Amino acid sequence: MSQSATKIRTRRRRAFTRKDIFTLSLFLGVPTFLHLFWVWIPALATIGLSFTYWNGVHLSDIKWAGLANYNTVFTASPQFYDALLNNAYWLLWFTFIATPLGVLLAYQVDRAIRGHKVYESVYYIPVVLSLAIIGIIWRFMLGPAGLVQVLLGNPGIEDAIPIFGNYSINTYVILSIASWRHIGYIMLLYLAGLKSVDASLREAAVIDGATEWQTFRKIVLPAMAPVNTIIIVITVIESLRAFDLIYILYGTSTGWPILGMLVFVNIYGQAASMLGAAYAVILFLLSIIPIVFYLRTVFKEDIK
Amino acid sequence: MSNEVKENGVSRRTVLKGAAIGGAGLLGGGTLLSSCGSDEASGPVKFTARTNNETGLKIAQALADAYKAETGIDVTMQGSGDTNAFQDGISQYLQGTPDDAFQWMAGFRTNFRADQGLLVDLSENIANLGDQMPAGFVSGATNPSDGKQYIIPTTWYPWGLHYRKSTMKEIGLDPEGLYNLDDFMKLLEGTKKKGLIGYALGDKGGWEAMGTFSILNVRLNGYKYHIDLLNGRAKWTDQKTIDVFNQFAAMIPYMNDNVLDISWEGMRDLLLQKKCGAILMGSWWANDFKAKSQEDYDDLWIVPFPEINPEFARDTIDAPVDGVCAAANSGNPAGGAAFAEWCGSEAGMLAAQAAGDTSLYANSRLDSSGYDAFNKQKLAVIGEAKNVMNFLDRDCRNDFAGPIVGVQIQNFLKNPKDINKICEETQAAWDALPPLA
Repeated sequence: MSQSATKIRTRRRRAFTRKDIFTLSLFLGVPTFLHLFWVWIPALATIGLSFTYWNGVHLSDIKWAGLANYNTVFTASPQFYDALLNNAYWLLWFTFIATPLGVLLAYQVDRAIRGHKVYESVYYIPVVLSLAIIGIIWRFMLGPAGLVQVLLGNPGIEDAIPIFGNYSINTYVILSIASWRHIGYIMLLYLAGLKSVDASLREAAVIDGATEWQTFRKIVLPAMAPVNTIIIVITVIESLRAFDLIYILYGTSTGWPILGMLVFVNIYGQAASMLGAAYAVILFLLSIIPIVFYLRTVFKEDIK
Repeated sequence: MSNEVKENGVSRRTVLKGAAIGGAGLLGGGTLLSSCGSDEASGPVKFTARTNNETGLKIAQALADAYKAETGIDVTMQGSGDTNAFQDGISQYLQGTPDDAFQWMAGFRTNFRADQGLLVDLSENIANLGDQMPAGFVSGATNPSDGKQYIIPTTWYPWGLHYRKSTMKEIGLDPEGLYNLDDFMKLLEGTKKKGLIGYALGDKGGWEAMGTFSILNVRLNGYKYHIDLLNGRAKWTDQKTIDVFNQFAAMIPYMNDNVLDISWEGMRDLLLQKKCGAILMGSWWANDFKAKSQEDYDDLWIVPFPEINPEFARDTIDAPVDGVCAAANSGNPAGGAAFAEWCGSEAGMLAAQAAGDTSLYANSRLDSSGYDAFNKQKLAVIGEAKNVMNFLDRDCRNDFAGPIVGVQIQNFLKNPKDINKICEETQAAWDALPPLA
């Protein structure tokens, strides 16, 4: 017994040859280094900078500001609360409309309803475009003298219906445009997950007389737990990091403010100041807290 | 608090007027023509034109070609792409590997970057230009913090009411004689009755409507109040400021519905397509009218914004100066400086003019008697004013102009009933600004 145990131990130790250790440290070390260097060091630097006054040119001009930047953000920014609200709309819209629609589509496509191949392609096409390109497409379509305006019978600039500058509808328009891509993305992810669900499970459910909805809730959804986690995390991240679409539609005039845009304008623009860093830290906290919390609960269940 | 933009001690106005109107007369004999700058300037030059517009790029390419023909030095011209993006990224651009020379704007935007050491000192080049460069432009290009110049002024233009003579004739109105607010409101009413937009405005870019705000402020409260307001010496919560927004709101019924959906290009196109009565803007896009057809260009006219408060009459105008800067971190800063200087010389301006540039030039050798009717009118419009402004976003701190004033004017256009709240927030935002580094 003890002999064989030692044998195993020695074998295990031998399993890591010098070459293995080299390969492993290369494969683990390089990504870790890159990750620290490109993600965590800048992130920590940003947190530090958010407590300073600096215009981003000469390091010698930097001054300690304490909490002044945060104070400005919370009490004297004309756009912070609007931006927070818009990010919240984005998150709610994605969580309750876009993501469930993607899941529904995936489920229908997976059931091989008639013409599912066509639907799959149609919904997937926007995913190959970046949100920036999508912004350009929709700006052309909906903007003054755009296709949609012409079809609505307003070909001139003078009678173009205000859309992106119309604050009673632009939130819905923007979120619909963003969903156009998000739905396809979620559909694809979910479809991949559904393909891996053992077909016999569903057959068994059908034989036991479960309804479609029961099968989905009791069989498919639990079997898809890992995919669900990914989808929830993606939905939260996509909603909070939103930037490119808005930049294309409004430029830096922040006509429809979101946090990502405020970070950019205040840290990069002509008005560079560390107010942008403070916005970035707020955005960072907003993104990381729900994700860490969610991942913790999920992994806890896995460990059990 | 040091968060004030230092202003020039010299009044731009007196000198500018003399230079612009009697420019040709100032020509003294015997000055050596210094066509090219410093001796060490050699090697190919890279030049960024601050435009993505076809006409603008054509003019910039013509400058590059003419410089090559005159000096044998290769100039590679490239457009800046989206100009708002270029302006936003300027500090980063200048810290990276910028082109040697680039088109830029005089005022705070230049002076701030000069203070950071990102621009080449062009004082020597200005001196080389000698009497070609009118004193008013030299003072306009001077950085108040060190008395040096970092930009070679090339062109300038007035912000006035632009309209098409034919459109006005068709509807039987004549803005030429328009003097005060009553005349103006009648004009707006008249154009609206004919089914046109009275006062076309776009503010998608977040800066276009600053022109309207500024002119209303100087008409109602005078030049000094406006500059004080932009630099924190007057309050946004003051009734005087609120009155400016109220006056602005009174004009909204005569505007297009999609102000926040169109940019300055949309405003220009509305005028070009005869869809509106008047627009308030700088005349830089007159080039595009000319590029369309000579007929369209001849139809274009400009008058000063009307008087509102007789105390200040029409004594102030926005007339920003554009020019060429050289980047300190570029591969060939000396070459960039020499090219910038050449752009400000008579030869450079003649080259731009030949390529279809209709701007007013900042050079006294250029005979203003050769100007066309529209340019003479532009000079007359500027000539009537006693105070010359650089435009709102060049007259105050960049971290106040764009992210605060520009945003608040958009917020006002979104909801014109919110004036009091907007003014309070703007004042709070000014008060929270850090000292200007």
